[in-house]
Amino acid sequence: MLSLLVQGILIGSIYGLIALGLTLIFGIMRVINFAHGTLLMVSMYIAFLSVNTLGLSPYLTLIVVVPAMFGIGYLINMALIQPVLNKESDVREPIGALVLTFGLSVLLENVFLAVFGPNYHSIRTSFSNETVQIGSVIMPVPKLYAFLLASVVTVLFYLFLQKSEMGRVIRAVGQDRNTALLMGVNVPFVFNVAFGIGLAVLGTAGVALVPFYNIHPSIGNIFAIKAFVTVLLGGLGSIPGAIVGGLLIGIVESVCTLWVPSTLSSVVVLYAFLIFLFIRPAGLFGSEHDA
Amino acid sequence: MKKFIPIGVLGLVSILIPAFVDNQYILHSIVMILLYAYLSTSWNIVGGFAGQLSLGHSSFMAIGGYTSTLLAIHSGLSPWIGMLVGGCAAAFVAVLVGIPSFRLKGAYYSLATIAFAEGLSMLLQTVKRIGPIDLGGAEGLRVASIPDASILDFQSLSKVPYYYIILVFLAIVVFVSWYIDRSKLGYYLTALKEDEDAAKALGINTQQVKLIAAGLSAFFTALGGTFFVQLIRYVEPATIAGIDLSTQMVFLAVVGGMGTVFGPLVGSIVLTTLATITQIYFGGSSSGLHLIIYGTAVVAVILFMPPGHGIIHPILKMLGLAEKDGANKSDGRLNEAAAPSSRKDLVRE
Repeated sequence: MLSLLVQGILIGSIYGLIALGLTLIFGIMRVINFAHGTLLMVSMYIAFLSVNTLGLSPYLTLIVVVPAMFGIGYLINMALIQPVLNKESDVREPIGALVLTFGLSVLLENVFLAVFGPNYHSIRTSFSNETVQIGSVIMPVPKLYAFLLASVVTVLFYLFLQKSEMGRVIRAVGQDRNTALLMGVNVPFVFNVAFGIGLAVLGTAGVALVPFYNIHPSIGNIFAIKAFVTVLLGGLGSIPGAIVGGLLIGIVESVCTLWVPSTLSSVVVLYAFLIFLFIRPAGLFGSEHDA
Repeated sequence: MKKFIPIGVLGLVSILIPAFVDNQYILHSIVMILLYAYLSTSWNIVGGFAGQLSLGHSSFMAIGGYTSTLLAIHSGLSPWIGMLVGGCAAAFVAVLVGIPSFRLKGAYYSLATIAFAEGLSMLLQTVKRIGPIDLGGAEGLRVASIPDASILDFQSLSKVPYYYIILVFLAIVVFVSWYIDRSKLGYYLTALKEDEDAAKALGINTQQVKLIAAGLSAFFTALGGTFFVQLIRYVEPATIAGIDLSTQMVFLAVVGGMGTVFGPLVGSIVLTTLATITQIYFGGSSSGLHLIIYGTAVVAVILFMPPGHGIIHPILKMLGLAEKDGANKSDGRLNEAAAPSSRKDLVRE
């Protein structure tokens, strides 16, 4: 049981990391990025390519992945999402943006399928199969490293948002974009940056996953669903909510294997999420106004 | 009456097609094209008219397909009756899921539909039997091949009966869409799609209206599910409850023009034909190719056309059939009403 709990926390930290990017994007721009899972997959392929063609060690690929994902995020927002949001600014329900990100996700997934083929790719590292034992708990080393990386990035991200000037500007835009505009903030630029940062954080999650997760164009989907579950559980736009939500989901998913075959653990999470959504759509830490 | 000419021409052509097409493979492809047109028009009732973006609609196909097949296997019930039972079951489930889901706003609702469909797909793949009923698990179920099958068995070796069946289905669902669009229900749907709070303020029971749309949409989608199962004589969870079918229904309707009556039909015919041709020429194993085309088309349509518009709008303009009043032009713009100078029909003198 303790082992399962720890496993849940380890993987939950990754879910939380993925959810961080998603919740930032929603919190600042009110956009639900359906392409988040697919973009995670993209970051994993970038990491994979960096290892294979550039010979970088898995965690050093951050040097490539983070700027790349930031750039991709910046461009996606500038070229695709903002124009659509501007067109729909006088519409009550901007479903166009939803369909756009959904369409983008399907497009990207199938382009990668066409380019990389349907086979699973993976990288071998010196520590892929090693485990570490603390007390009665056995932990796979790659997952432990992933947890450490996720924790460090989460703390850095939090510090950035709270202490840096850009972080302050981003938070201001998230609170009230019109007032920020009046204060002289270049809001469209901030949107692009926020989207870029959201994807950069996502990229670190991808790097953390690559050492122990096989890569395939469709793996984005299940992570995306779990990320949405996490974000909605924690409350859209809430950073602590994303972290707590991620850990909770990881733990629930892991612990329910005591009673249910592991193939059904995802179903448990999904349907538990549905029930939760009906009771409290705002999530644990979210504001009622967003629901 | 001028606007019915293209429909009349299309109808006439479509009745005559099997007379000219001998190749069973091509006929099968055409049947699939019509099936997708049917499915996306069904989706459009809740997705386009009501503006509720259901991204897990294939779950209703699964309910339809599994219901009719299980009833046929275990009680020998004719697939036609099983189809209607499946339709009612799907409508029931849609209403049941809709009651809590429709309280959620836009994206939350979409997420709920995805979660529901994914969950159903996984359940169908994992749970092999419920009591004495064998669900087939991930391998699915076969529809028994009946020798000398008649149309009453909903089976045939030749594709021609299937062609006419789906043609009739398509005509029915398009007619239902057209009728809804012109009815009071249609106006309620347009109202709640454009501004739900304002609609509620006007006294429209938006929850009830959404549930009606969802039920109708699910009913027809389930019928399509049974048809699909009878066509390929196989029901398998990964396909019939999968995200691929859900996605296609949405994309085809959006590209065609969601919220219009003929939009999904046009979108389906154009895109599916394009995809089928591409698949013939560029190799059949690349299963994702059609989705690349659809995905690109969706992104392009959303980026470059006004919200809610699809490829049917320029087509209608070219044919000179563009609607001037608001009934068919569901593009969600609130400022339509703020430009009264364009409404010359309101000025009587």
